[in-house]
Amino acid sequence: MRNMFADAPRTSLTAIYWAFLLYLLLPLTLMMAMSFKDANFVAFPIGDWTLDWYAKVMQDKQFLEACLYSVMIAAASTLAATTLGTWIAMLIVAEGIKGQVIIFALACLPAVVPGMISAISLRIFISTIDMPTGTAAIILGHTVHAVPFVVVMALTRLRSMPGNLVDAARDLGADSIVAFFRVTLPYLGPALVGGMIFCVLLSIDDFVRTFFLGGYRPTLPMLIFAKVQGGMSPEINAMATLVLVVTAAVGLYAEYMTRRARTR
Amino acid sequence: MVSSNTTAGYAAGRGDAPVPKYSTGIAKVVNSALYRHTLGAAVESRIGRIILLAGVPLVWLIMLHVGPIYQMLKISLMSHYPVLPGVESHFTLDNYAIFFKESLYFTPLIKSFIFATAATAVTLVVVYPVAYYVAKVVKPEGRSKALLLLLVPFWAGELIRTFSVIMLLANRGAVNVLLREIGLIDRPIPMLYTSFSLGFGLVYLICLYMLLPLYSAIEKIPGQYLDAAADLGAGPFTRFRRIILPLSKDGIVSGCSLVFLTCIGVFATPMLLGGPNTVLFPETISGFFHGASDKWPVGAAFALIMLVTALITAGIFMRLVGGKKRSAF
Amino acid sequence: MQPVVQFDNVTKSYGKHVAVENLNLSIEAGKFVTLLGPSGCGKSTSLRMLGGFETPNSGRILLGGKDVTRVPPNKRNVNIVFQDYALFPHMSIAKNIAFGLELKGFDNQHIHRRVSELLELVQLQDYAKRLPSELSGGQRQRVALMRALAPDPEVLLLDEPLSALDAKLRQQMQIELKSIQEKTGKTFMFVTHDQEEALTMSDTIVVMNKGRIEQMGDPNTLYGRPGSVFVANFIGETNLLRSTVVGTEGDQAALNWNGVTIKAAQGGLTPKAGDHLYVVLRPEAIHCSAAEPESGNRIKGKIRQRVFKGNHTSLSVEVGDGTMLNALVHPADVSQLNGEEIWVGWKPETTTVIPDRHAHN
Repeated sequence: MRNMFADAPRTSLTAIYWAFLLYLLLPLTLMMAMSFKDANFVAFPIGDWTLDWYAKVMQDKQFLEACLYSVMIAAASTLAATTLGTWIAMLIVAEGIKGQVIIFALACLPAVVPGMISAISLRIFISTIDMPTGTAAIILGHTVHAVPFVVVMALTRLRSMPGNLVDAARDLGADSIVAFFRVTLPYLGPALVGGMIFCVLLSIDDFVRTFFLGGYRPTLPMLIFAKVQGGMSPEINAMATLVLVVTAAVGLYAEYMTRRARTR
Repeated sequence: MVSSNTTAGYAAGRGDAPVPKYSTGIAKVVNSALYRHTLGAAVESRIGRIILLAGVPLVWLIMLHVGPIYQMLKISLMSHYPVLPGVESHFTLDNYAIFFKESLYFTPLIKSFIFATAATAVTLVVVYPVAYYVAKVVKPEGRSKALLLLLVPFWAGELIRTFSVIMLLANRGAVNVLLREIGLIDRPIPMLYTSFSLGFGLVYLICLYMLLPLYSAIEKIPGQYLDAAADLGAGPFTRFRRIILPLSKDGIVSGCSLVFLTCIGVFATPMLLGGPNTVLFPETISGFFHGASDKWPVGAAFALIMLVTALITAGIFMRLVGGKKRSAF
Repeated sequence: MQPVVQFDNVTKSYGKHVAVENLNLSIEAGKFVTLLGPSGCGKSTSLRMLGGFETPNSGRILLGGKDVTRVPPNKRNVNIVFQDYALFPHMSIAKNIAFGLELKGFDNQHIHRRVSELLELVQLQDYAKRLPSELSGGQRQRVALMRALAPDPEVLLLDEPLSALDAKLRQQMQIELKSIQEKTGKTFMFVTHDQEEALTMSDTIVVMNKGRIEQMGDPNTLYGRPGSVFVANFIGETNLLRSTVVGTEGDQAALNWNGVTIKAAQGGLTPKAGDHLYVVLRPEAIHCSAAEPESGNRIKGKIRQRVFKGNHTSLSVEVGDGTMLNALVHPADVSQLNGEEIWVGWKPETTTVIPDRHAHN
């Protein structure tokens, strides 16, 4: 017979989990709910409901441009970060190279440096190489930020790779480059897709680097930041809700991809 | 090989089975003169292989992972930057000295540390039972779902999560309205733009950075250890204190370091949720790069002070709790 | 005739550890050659040097008469079947086999023909489109073999390819490997630590120990006339009797073992009186009986242990000064050996002798 006290920790842990989930989801739910409020000020209770704010957001040229701009930056920095991160990971697992621990530490450095300091140092850096603030600088900053994550993900996958797959490819007539593109890269594939989606989310979410490296053209977080500082309106809620829904869908897809990769 | 009816019929009609495509075209590339004389030749020599493998990564790492920090250090020791015509810049330590002279600068750093430390501690206490629940109480097949639910807010991003906290805590936000509806208060409690809202927002922002390291550490603890301990007479509390806690130390160390370092570098959240009394150090530093008092060398020096103190704090914490030297990963 | 593979004074060391020392080895074309030895004996290193994955510190490796010592693996005409197959997990079976052909620059039609042909050879036509993960261990083994054979290598190298299979499947694969080797007429160079595997398949066995060749020969010679104590112990079960030469009679030597005179075939040696030799006595050569045999070598002994093994019984018999002899007895004969005391007998021509290298005389 199970006694009541034996189950007490279990029950309370379950309660804590659901309470925590509620805590995580409540603010976001409230934010989404507020986007349907039929009034131009943000306050509870919501009262009448409307979809007008969405119609307004969808016609907001500034918002649509910011979306496009953010996606463009995310695509460019993801591509760069994935290439560089994979390349660095290949160097770290390569045989006959010394100082791999140092290379790994250097590769992880941008992930350990707090965001604000990373942003400041990049701002200084682009000024010392006479690079103007703007699109290229943002892409560079986001790439630096994303590389460590790609390196770690690619390394995990590379270390699980049977060492003789590359040997087999070489044995069958492939040089190191062909072996990389025909064997190693396809093997990394699923992990890299997961990593790329993570990079996209990282870039789209990033505020502090964009803030210091950007020009006058706002990305999504910059636009939302400016609007929030300018005053509350359910329009911001509608915008944020749209962004949230899309990024969550992308995130779910990434999760699905990495899970599929693991079961393969 | 080709066994479906349609293709077999088609093949019979042609009198010849369709040939699957094996060639990816890579042989053409590899056998082309251009490839053989460039990459193909390079990869056959040891030096060529090393350059191909290490060249780009090393240049990138040194230029862009180390470069910015190095430039920041260099500028923090200059009297003037950007260097204007007619003004000579010279080596100086004044930019660092300013920090220690003015409490105006000193206080925000202290506050930053207090907020980051408190947020880390609160997050650890709040998230630990949740991570334990998902890793050990939930059945293995349900774990990824239970974890996935917790990850949803993570995809919302820094700014949207911060913004959503306003919905909860504003004067006419959900909490105040609810309290007034049930008659507990007459006038809204001002929660937004205070230390409370900032702390609440920080915890809300970063708790997932704690969850994942803790989860993976606790999940690795074999269940037999707990069964063995229970068999030897250990109650739930003893099992937790003597087995789970020590064995999840790695997760605690990396989770706390990650949360602390993230927290201390958060820029937007304090500006949106904090008030005049909660000016944190990032905002102070930002002032030297934007606005009227444009003094980059001072800003660079302050950023370095913050970086070094934050890394030392995290390092001391790792040593104390972890016992071994570890990276934040 | 020109040997297809030639190791010419090859030495390979890792730091202070010498993996292969002054290896000299010639292999004839079309033979199934096995490198046999315990782990760490240098057999795999030799194979990897031939494959191009390791470079010798000194010496030369010739392939078809050409020096390939420093040629990278992708430029030499040998292919390996790896221990755990190393099939590309993201490619179908057919694409795995086609990989080497494609890189050789063959056109699609040719590749297709060759792949179909090879798949047919191992009856895997219906699996062409499957991924390696959807195949059984034995099937993967066959695919790995065909992938390595596809580019038509001068020598096929097999690095303990059967060790991942269970015992029954392994025996089946041994026979299949041998028949494929005979069908294709290729030179196979097979590495294993399993003496039974080596005896079953090989034309020539090269026994290696501590980076050197101990003995090389066909399975019969190695089993029947081992050249060293190591080989005698490594191949099959053996009883070794350390004896002193008393004299020779024709092609037989008379030896003194613990006061008993025994005779043994000289095995190509020219022993002198006073030499110390080991007599190699295989368990199946021993005949146990309750009564003293009338001719041949015989020693009195006591049965210490009987182990029933199905088709035979293995007896441990204590003889002389406490030496244990291992003998195989047919089940029908065991019933006659009721008592503890028995006679151990054997014919002199079923044994051979090995010089005792450590003896000083």
